[in-house]
Amino acid sequence: MSTDGQSIPAAEAAAASAPALRRAVVVGGNRIPFARAGGSYAKSSNQDMLTAALDGLIARFGLQDERLGEVAAGAVLKHSRDFNLTREAVLGSALSPETPAYDLQQACATGLETVVGLANKIRLGQIESAIAGGVDSASDAPIVVSEGLREVILDLNRAKTLPQRLQILARLRPKDLAPLAPGTSEPRTGLSMGEHQALTTAQWKISREAQDEVALNSHRNLAAAYESGFFDDLVTPYRGVTRDGNLRADTSMEKLAALKPVFGKSLGAEATMTAGNSTPLTDGASTVLLASDEWADARDLPKLAAVVDAEAAAVDFVHGKDGLLMAPVFAVPRLLARHNLTLADIDFFEIHEAFAATVLSTLAAWEDEEFGRTRLGLDGAYGKIDRARLNVNGSSLAAGHPFAATGGRIVASLAKQLHEKGSSDGRPARGLVSVCAAGGQGVVAILESL
Amino acid sequence: MIPVQPVILGDMPSLSKLYVNAAAQAARRRLLGAQGSAVLPAENHEVRGVTADVANLTAYQHLLGETASDVLPAGFLHALAFPVAMSVMNRDDFPLPLLGMIHLRNSVEQRSPVLFTDALDITAGVENLRGHRVGTQVDVVAEVRLAGKEDLAWRGISTYLAKGVFLPGIDKPSAGSAKAEFVAPDPTAVWQLGVDTGRAYAAVSGDFNPIHLSVLSARALGLRSSIAHGMYLASRALADVGSVRGGSFIWDVEFDAPAFLPCRVALGISSEEGGSGAWERSRFVAWNPRSGRRHFSGTVAAL
Repeated sequence: MSTDGQSIPAAEAAAASAPALRRAVVVGGNRIPFARAGGSYAKSSNQDMLTAALDGLIARFGLQDERLGEVAAGAVLKHSRDFNLTREAVLGSALSPETPAYDLQQACATGLETVVGLANKIRLGQIESAIAGGVDSASDAPIVVSEGLREVILDLNRAKTLPQRLQILARLRPKDLAPLAPGTSEPRTGLSMGEHQALTTAQWKISREAQDEVALNSHRNLAAAYESGFFDDLVTPYRGVTRDGNLRADTSMEKLAALKPVFGKSLGAEATMTAGNSTPLTDGASTVLLASDEWADARDLPKLAAVVDAEAAAVDFVHGKDGLLMAPVFAVPRLLARHNLTLADIDFFEIHEAFAATVLSTLAAWEDEEFGRTRLGLDGAYGKIDRARLNVNGSSLAAGHPFAATGGRIVASLAKQLHEKGSSDGRPARGLVSVCAAGGQGVVAILESL
Repeated sequence: MIPVQPVILGDMPSLSKLYVNAAAQAARRRLLGAQGSAVLPAENHEVRGVTADVANLTAYQHLLGETASDVLPAGFLHALAFPVAMSVMNRDDFPLPLLGMIHLRNSVEQRSPVLFTDALDITAGVENLRGHRVGTQVDVVAEVRLAGKEDLAWRGISTYLAKGVFLPGIDKPSAGSAKAEFVAPDPTAVWQLGVDTGRAYAAVSGDFNPIHLSVLSARALGLRSSIAHGMYLASRALADVGSVRGGSFIWDVEFDAPAFLPCRVALGISSEEGGSGAWERSRFVAWNPRSGRRHFSGTVAAL
């Protein structure tokens, strides 16, 4: 059977066309602890939190008054007044006001994509240093006026005479005055992300127990990382919060099993997705400092890991050909093939836990013979990963998931983890980041220890 | 269509006047106890040089989820031709009562794309009067051509049922085999339809049939609540099929249970490819996610 265009191209073709580039390195990262929506950061804006995360990073690496190459960040839930969110955060930070900045938005892949874009600029020699980041507030979400009221206001602005204005005002109806809050529904399907994942969960027959186990490991790993001091140089307290508010160090399989399903209740299959094995709405911000070797060396700054390469993918989820959050299933094999690597060559996997079932569906697809043959164009299954290498310092189920801030959280933590492991058997430690995103998208990247 | 000299209408008929006239006609028939004949009017009605209003087109595209291109969506052409079709059903010699007729099926052939700048000749006629298990059904055929041109650009056949109306000489068909029980697939989309769905579609389509506008106006016509326009539902499904359908296609829909407003409608769309891997057709089916009752189903197929 022919494959459908998502199959993996030959490694030689891609490698031959790649020009020689210099290296982009991760110097370090900083984030504020993540808080559950409506909690400690309920009154903090995206700009507040992004500036706080930036200032923590600046303090950690002595970047006061430095003119950096560029800062890029973004938010998924964004006010229209925040059209220049990142630049405004830079102006409010201790960085030199002569540091340029831009906003980026790729749903939950925003944070990782800022790392990829800025690392590429460094590799091309366009800039020497950069800060990548992301922020989201589900508490301070933008509320917009109804289409009816919006059209009346815009038409009023265009009206020239009083009778025209009165005529336009007369169009207003009481229902036009009701405000609209942003939803998490996919625009083309009307299904929420959880409902979409519930369809994928049922398709791949992911059990409730397996999902709860992923959630339990996430909390245990994150709690252990805090206990060991792993986050001491990755997190700066904010508004009295010192640890991620969603972390439940004492959770157990029994506690998780007691939760009622919240997604997929109207499907034929048994509903398995609960508040425990799904990420909660979260507020938070994260940043990552990137640089060329020369820039980092000149300032005597650490070099944790190199950003090696990245790949984006998208799936045709609208009519269910693939699950909404399954794009990384295609991006990872393409990226690894470009470097002649397999899953066995990766020391640490960071697969973003949008839902526990997202991680498990991804692994199930890679382990499936039929899927490997028909969709990835392989002889059989793509491969199996060693679960002891997966999300070793916890992931979004425990930390929470402020959409655009998740990429920065993962990259900074993974870079530190890789640096701690260091080279062995004559090769650097390798990490793989995989982030799924709304709209059927996904971005994945390889980092290597320095 | 039947080769009889068409009746050329000077202007696009006003749908609101047609509905008022239909209500008056219904009262008159009730008063006089007039039994309709079993013959359909043979003449087609035609309006020439019709152009679409671009603001209305944009509003339609936004409401139905169509890409806002300069091409008129197939459902928009249905709405554009609808007053001409209604004017035929409004004739004194049309044997069925217009108000309360139920839209059973709709079949559209989009032969070639029509732009909003094109001047159009629109004709409509009625044919195929025949029995139904619970009444009498009729096909309303509308055709759209570029002004002055022979070639058909768009053709729509709408089948309506006059429930409880039995005309002399038209037998009801023998009861067909029972319909297979509907088992809902996994949804690919869920629509939230508010109480104002009927009013919103009326505003862009011009179809102000009272059964769609409000609870009160629907109750006046014997329904327990207002219902979504069938063509609103079918046109949203067509929009959801997306660009894969190309510029020419066949779009068939069969209506089942009405969608009482407000409600959630679950939709399932699947597509079929031919041997070469090219798209052949998309099937769609929509149902009430609570009761499991089917609202409509159909296909969009390559022409």
